[in-house]
Amino acid sequence: MNKLYFSVVLCFIFMNVGAQNRYFTKDAKINFNSSTPFEDIVAESNQATTFIDIEKNELAFSVLTTSFKFRRALMEEHFNENYMESAKNKDFSKAKFSGKIISAIDWKSEKPVVVDVKGDLTMHGVTKTITLKANITPGKTKIVASAEFKVTPEDFNILIPSAVRDKIAKEVTIKVDANYTPYQQ
Amino acid sequence: MTNRKVLRFLVWMFVIGLIAAFSAIYYVFNKPRRNIAKENAVYTLTAKQLISEFKKDENASNAKYLDKVIDVSGEIKGIRTLDNHSMVFSLEDAMEGVSCTVDSADVVTDATKISLLKSGSTARFKGRCSGMLMDIQIINSSPE
Repeated sequence: MNKLYFSVVLCFIFMNVGAQNRYFTKDAKINFNSSTPFEDIVAESNQATTFIDIEKNELAFSVLTTSFKFRRALMEEHFNENYMESAKNKDFSKAKFSGKIISAIDWKSEKPVVVDVKGDLTMHGVTKTITLKANITPGKTKIVASAEFKVTPEDFNILIPSAVRDKIAKEVTIKVDANYTPYQQ
Repeated sequence: MTNRKVLRFLVWMFVIGLIAAFSAIYYVFNKPRRNIAKENAVYTLTAKQLISEFKKDENASNAKYLDKVIDVSGEIKGIRTLDNHSMVFSLEDAMEGVSCTVDSADVVTDATKISLLKSGSTARFKGRCSGMLMDIQIINSSPE
């Protein structure tokens, strides 16, 4: 999986042929919400790196888990130390997604469309294939994309002690917002 | 009489214990954030050194630098402002260099220092290392 991800990124970097077909941003916003009536748990990172290839309809995301900001310092500490185990190794210190747009999209239209994206989400060292809906507004100089989907911590081997399990939502809602600009080598 | 004294003592001890326990829980729960600007850097090095260490062995570099306060210097290759008004300074390379993020509140506090930073000039930032994606990210940073 790791190799696949890197080869996707490497393809984006090295196969710079002819027309502009890659767009990127290093400032994509990812936030997640696992609030329950007991506790508001919301975190956000503005530092996700993402590429989109409009020729191959492929996209890739990666974000450092330590870049998420919470309302309380204690939550940040628990998130990194107990749940994501960010310091364990380089596969645990980031969350990645690499996928393909599987429904039709006309990149020349400049009109917002809803597409289906299927790909591999990796976090906490576990990879799962997920399908999600994304809103994409194509453009020549700018592509705007957003998506919202849900994941279950237990699917990624993230074990939450039973004493606090009820304080954290069973399914975590993840929201992604990215404004892409053309990628120039 | 003695019994009552003992009881009173025990009640007081219980009340004090309760207050202590609650304040401890309250403190831990609302633990203040680290103030990176006030912490001393654990490592001081150039952006080039940091990049070469991370490229050589990411796991070892994570073990050494992750969450540590580091002081890093290099040539500014890119400056951008994010939607939330924080600023990112890329050292040595705009894509694969060291990205130092200055939070919006610190952009205001350090406005004078920041106004002097131009693309091409050499700068030093102190911040918390959050690891490597394509670039090495230094968050909560402030210009030195």
